[in-house]
Amino acid sequence: MRCGDFKETYIKDEEIFQSLFVKFWLGLFFIFLLVFPFIANAYMLYVANMIGFAIIAAVGLNLLTGFTGQISLGHAAFVGVGAYTSAILVTRLGFSFWLSIPCAGLVAALAGMIIGIPSLRVKGLYLCIATLAAQFIFEFIFIHWESMTNGITGINIPCPGIGGFEFVTEKSFYWITLFFVVLGVGYARNLIRSRMGRAFVAIRDRDLSAEIIGINLFRYKLSAFAISSFYAGVAGALWVTFLKVVTPDHFPFILSIHYLAMIIVGGLGSILGSIFGAIFMTLVPEILNYLSEIVKMSAPGYEEIFVPMKEVIFGVLIVLFLVFEPRGLAELWNRIKNFFRLWPFSY
Amino acid sequence: MKKTVIFFLSLVLCIGLFTVSKAMAEQNPTICAVHPFTGRFAFAGIHGADAMEDAVAMANEEGGVNGKKIEYYWADGEYKNDVGIAAFKRLYAQHKPHCMFGQSTGMTKALAPEIKDRYKVLYSAYTFAEIAATPEKNPNMFIAGPKYSEMFGVLLKYIAKEKPGANIAFFYSDTEFGREPIPVGRELCKKMGLNLVAEEIAKVGGVDITTQILDMKRKKVDYCIFHGFVVTPIQNVIKQSKDYGLNCKFMGTFWSTEKHLLDQLKGLANEYMGVTNYSYYYQDEYPMIKKIREWTKKKHPKFAEYRSQAYMMNFLTMQIFIECLRRADKSGAINGDSLVKALESIKNFDVGGLMLPVTISKNHSIPVGRVMKGNPKTMKFDPVSDWISLD
Repeated sequence: MRCGDFKETYIKDEEIFQSLFVKFWLGLFFIFLLVFPFIANAYMLYVANMIGFAIIAAVGLNLLTGFTGQISLGHAAFVGVGAYTSAILVTRLGFSFWLSIPCAGLVAALAGMIIGIPSLRVKGLYLCIATLAAQFIFEFIFIHWESMTNGITGINIPCPGIGGFEFVTEKSFYWITLFFVVLGVGYARNLIRSRMGRAFVAIRDRDLSAEIIGINLFRYKLSAFAISSFYAGVAGALWVTFLKVVTPDHFPFILSIHYLAMIIVGGLGSILGSIFGAIFMTLVPEILNYLSEIVKMSAPGYEEIFVPMKEVIFGVLIVLFLVFEPRGLAELWNRIKNFFRLWPFSY
Repeated sequence: MKKTVIFFLSLVLCIGLFTVSKAMAEQNPTICAVHPFTGRFAFAGIHGADAMEDAVAMANEEGGVNGKKIEYYWADGEYKNDVGIAAFKRLYAQHKPHCMFGQSTGMTKALAPEIKDRYKVLYSAYTFAEIAATPEKNPNMFIAGPKYSEMFGVLLKYIAKEKPGANIAFFYSDTEFGREPIPVGRELCKKMGLNLVAEEIAKVGGVDITTQILDMKRKKVDYCIFHGFVVTPIQNVIKQSKDYGLNCKFMGTFWSTEKHLLDQLKGLANEYMGVTNYSYYYQDEYPMIKKIREWTKKKHPKFAEYRSQAYMMNFLTMQIFIECLRRADKSGAINGDSLVKALESIKNFDVGGLMLPVTISKNHSIPVGRVMKGNPKTMKFDPVSDWISLD
């Protein structure tokens, strides 16, 4: 009978799938993901796609903020850079969607590296403000570089396709989203086990000490910005291709806050946390919307009170999570998992 | 064990039969809407949601669509694109509506390709933007009023008549909403022989507008047209222009020609003129307004004093939806194509004085407006022009 989770080697400690139990449930979950589009309606698939884009962007931000300790308030801008890059490449230069996705990531990564330069001199709140400036600079560019972005009118994006098949519906696009989510999460999970991942964590915990032990701050901080923005760019490109239109309205400052909330609620410095955070922040408002509609139907005339309450409930839920589990949903999940794994010796 | 199996099999059969019979039953005419019930456009959404519900209830009392009950469902879109689109998809998946109403220009833009190619519902929204009035690109969309650019046209036509060759300034917000009619406005000024001497840009809710006022004073502006704001900074510009000695007439488009601006202007209410598309709640000389007032008193006593122009807009949109459903139903089948045909056949459709008898233009809009002026004594808008049609 197990009374603790002990590892005898570093290799064991670094394993992605740490037990048969994890492998089994993950396999089952993956089968569910494959079956899901055949049992869900268009709305559920729409939400699933939105969760997918949020996961990719949140994983990227968590690599920067959660693992490397560099707070960014400009993540929505990088999502926007990727989105516009993909839209422009597809509509103006005739690139295929599949080629535009890595290009979107690369351009966003370049933008991220430029914006990340101040991180070499400033940190904490000062870096926050520097990245905040990026948000407003890019918003301005999206609106005013009309010859390229089409200004406020935005750009209509055609459906992606392979051969004669077009990914028009939520169901068909789900496969694209799932592919990129698995790829993005898999890469991030591996990255944090690598030298680079450990360097990120060292910088987060104490950058001076990290530099003393030979970590090149310049290289790794900019790498963190680049990788994080690459994820954001890919998420943005997928999102706007799914919506078939991109306008500057898609990337407001509040979206950056939203991504930050995702990784805080999910769990900073945890890939699983990014996934939980993205699901929570996308799914809970939808569930509350659904509930408010039920209330609206069962208590007609009182919708003015009940419908706006969902915002309050959502806010209260976030606060409650932060108060009772500051390490996020990922930690909550770990505790639940350990309870069952170590039962009856769990404490 | 055998009994349990039989019980479950019967249960599955019952559920199956119920689902099949429900699917086979003919669907009632269904309309769905996404309202900005919360968020920064809630001032319109709260009234707008009631308007559609009221219009459907009234129509159902009068026999619905050729005897079929109209079903109406709505959801809150919070005036956020992603929430609105999700609400649209949710409503569509649940109710398969024939007509849909969206919450904003952004949502309309985002959904336009899918409405055309996939959903094929008759669609309108809380917008007067060009996108919803370009049938060659978006045949299923229409706007129940003039486009923003047509509102500019109504105002400029009024100015050209009152003071030919006047100096004009466009004062707009740096948003999608604010910028939309400006290029057409520039062309219209040239066409009507008016001098567009200034274009001032300010933030929605911005308070520092001194630079813009001084610039307009320097350029001797005769008429300043606001667009892209609901209230602030319009009231500040009007108030401060007095202090800086700027003598010009202030005008605005639909969303600002509303009671909440007069409430802010108070004694200066007569300094503002605006274009509106619909009769006001207090113009009870019109039978439809009278009907709305009586209904509101009975069903929503809280709003008995005033219903905003957003209410009138949505009420009229619902009248058009219902008329299209009736015509399409009579033609044999309610679907995207028959609804568009029905929409395009609407000519001189009497709406009880809510606006002029409705004729849907070839652009799928109703290019009619009226110039109103604030009255500081009654805190209401008085008409200063008759209905102006743009051809």
